[in-house]
Amino acid sequence: MSKKNVLKVENLSYAYSNPSGVQKVLKDINAEFESGKMYAIVGESGSGKTTFLSLLSALDKLQDGDIKFNNKSLRKIGGTEFRLKYVNIVFQAYNLIKYMTARENVQVAIDFDKRKVDPDKYLKQVGLTEEEGRRLIGKLSGGQQQRVAIARAIASNSPIIVADEPTGNLDEDTEEKIIDIFKDLAKKQNKIVIIVTHSKRVASHADKILHLRRGKLD
Amino acid sequence: MYRNMLKRSWLSIRRKIGRTIVLTLIFFIMANLVLAAITIKSAVAAQMDYAKSTLGGTVTIQADMEAIRENQREQMESGVDRREMFGKMSRPKISIETANEIASYSDYVKDYSYEISSSANEGDLEIVESNNGPEMPGMPGMPGRFQNSNNSESAELDGNITISGINAYAYISGVENESFTIKDGTYFDEDSDDKALISYEFAELNDLKVDDTFEIKNVYTSEIVKLSVIGVYDSSDPFAGANTIYMNIATAAKFLSSDDYNDGNFDVNNANFYMINSDKADEFVEKINSDFPELAENNLKIAVDTSEYDSMSGSIESVGGFATTILVIVIIAAIVIITLIVTLNVRDRRYEMGVLLSLGAHKFNVVTQIATELAIVGTLGFALASISGTFLAKSMGQGIIDSQTASSQAQLEKNFGRPGNRMPGQPNNDNFAPGNNDSREMNMKQRMMANNEQKVELDINATPSDFLILFATGYLVIILALILPSVNIMRYQPKEILAGKE
Repeated sequence: MSKKNVLKVENLSYAYSNPSGVQKVLKDINAEFESGKMYAIVGESGSGKTTFLSLLSALDKLQDGDIKFNNKSLRKIGGTEFRLKYVNIVFQAYNLIKYMTARENVQVAIDFDKRKVDPDKYLKQVGLTEEEGRRLIGKLSGGQQQRVAIARAIASNSPIIVADEPTGNLDEDTEEKIIDIFKDLAKKQNKIVIIVTHSKRVASHADKILHLRRGKLD
Repeated sequence: MYRNMLKRSWLSIRRKIGRTIVLTLIFFIMANLVLAAITIKSAVAAQMDYAKSTLGGTVTIQADMEAIRENQREQMESGVDRREMFGKMSRPKISIETANEIASYSDYVKDYSYEISSSANEGDLEIVESNNGPEMPGMPGMPGRFQNSNNSESAELDGNITISGINAYAYISGVENESFTIKDGTYFDEDSDDKALISYEFAELNDLKVDDTFEIKNVYTSEIVKLSVIGVYDSSDPFAGANTIYMNIATAAKFLSSDDYNDGNFDVNNANFYMINSDKADEFVEKINSDFPELAENNLKIAVDTSEYDSMSGSIESVGGFATTILVIVIIAAIVIITLIVTLNVRDRRYEMGVLLSLGAHKFNVVTQIATELAIVGTLGFALASISGTFLAKSMGQGIIDSQTASSQAQLEKNFGRPGNRMPGQPNNDNFAPGNNDSREMNMKQRMMANNEQKVELDINATPSDFLILFATGYLVIILALILPSVNIMRYQPKEILAGKE
């Protein structure tokens, strides 16, 4: 039986300062995410989903509250270390390095993890062929690029995978395949998978759905 | 970690070939100009050192005309008879002992020259007659009927042969500009006692050849001096006299009067000391003044002539100044251009930076990756420039030198074109023989013009240290150009970098 990892969010609040004043985006959020499960965070535009995801993936600095992985505080671990060892993100806009091939993009994540693994293994896992893996990013379709982004997230071998609208630009068939990949990551690889989505169809595949309304989690 | 960073840098360089070519070109142009400037500056420094040692300048001990005139004025005011005063007047001279002592200051003196002059009676020999009659003794080429009013000896004691003693053949007036040449035989030196260099006309008239001996008479003691011919000279100098016999100082001293001989401590004229390094001129003068205070008491002054060095160094220094200006401008321009390119490049790649940061890269590593890319491209540009930079330096340096030489040459000719004009720093060879003075001044002009033309040449070749400076300057420019874009990377959170795209 594999070890159970827990990601805890404690009293998390976040506010933006702008010329019109301070805008509180997240208000005292508490949540717990376990390995082996897929979570969906849903909510309207402006509800604070992306901010919540940014904090979960340590892309932004914590203001109030804390995030703990197996009771270790993110504040103690440090953002860079947290991103390097504990979390990986799949962006809505893929954020792949354009002058590299699909394979090389995946290799970047493997290099950060200091492992010697063939990137083709991860590309195959997301349904890309070796030939597709050797193409430059610009030569791949949106769906293929999203798969590369997921392959990169898997390749980093992090226990947490956070995805921001991972199927937002994809057709239904591809969306289905991508969701299956995320489910496999949670079930077969015992990862904590957190997906931010608008899609009810995607959310329906999650083990737990969290609703974010006006900065508060239901 | 660094291996992976290098791998990513290399990929970026290879795949973004357009940007790589533009950057390489900029580094190449910058490096060419920097190397040219550095090489020219090194060549200038080397040339200045060389000039200091070869054109070390001359210290001349000569009559202090101002002091003499002041002396005369004082005497006249105190009621001394004008005729008596001028009768007693003689040109101040330096004793050979003092001259030899100064010449022995090996820290300052590279070489020296001084002369003594006298006259001799021809004995059984024949004298070359000029249109103006026999020349004036002691002054080559001056007809005998002109009496030297400054000579303490009486006119009746003047012989028809002029004796010119000089410590080295090379310092005979006209030798350097080749108006005085050896037609047969060889030259004398300090060890060539009782050897004489006679004129071609005098040799022909008396049927004398190299190694022949002849006898002439000391006009004061009537002592016969036997000399052997070491060489026969020819002089195109219109003031040179055919009855002048040149020899070393020890031999010429045999023609002095007993009083003038002064038990071997006789006086010499035109004492010139050629310095090792013109930078030490003031120090040398100070030393002479402190060791020989009697020189000033005897109305002698010490004049320093560094005009050869000054005229050459002026051109070279302006080249060096130009090179420095180029260096500063190029470095500033390079920093500005590369900063702009890197800033645009970082802007263009901010999402890549964001991705790397989201994968756990340290901000410092991201900056280092950009720096590595620039360093690789820069190294390529610098290496290419190492080949072409020397050629550019040669053509640039020589171009500037040529224009500088032409302008200083024109200035030199303009200055000498005016009657009575003297070159800056040229010693005031106040002499009691006007003809002799003119001849010397003419030789000086020719020497200086020749020097100005010949010596202003730069050996522009890049040395290993020039290449080292080039690469160090180049990498420094890269580091400086990276400061601004790095500040941007360092101050943002990955979310802020990626937010624009989301």
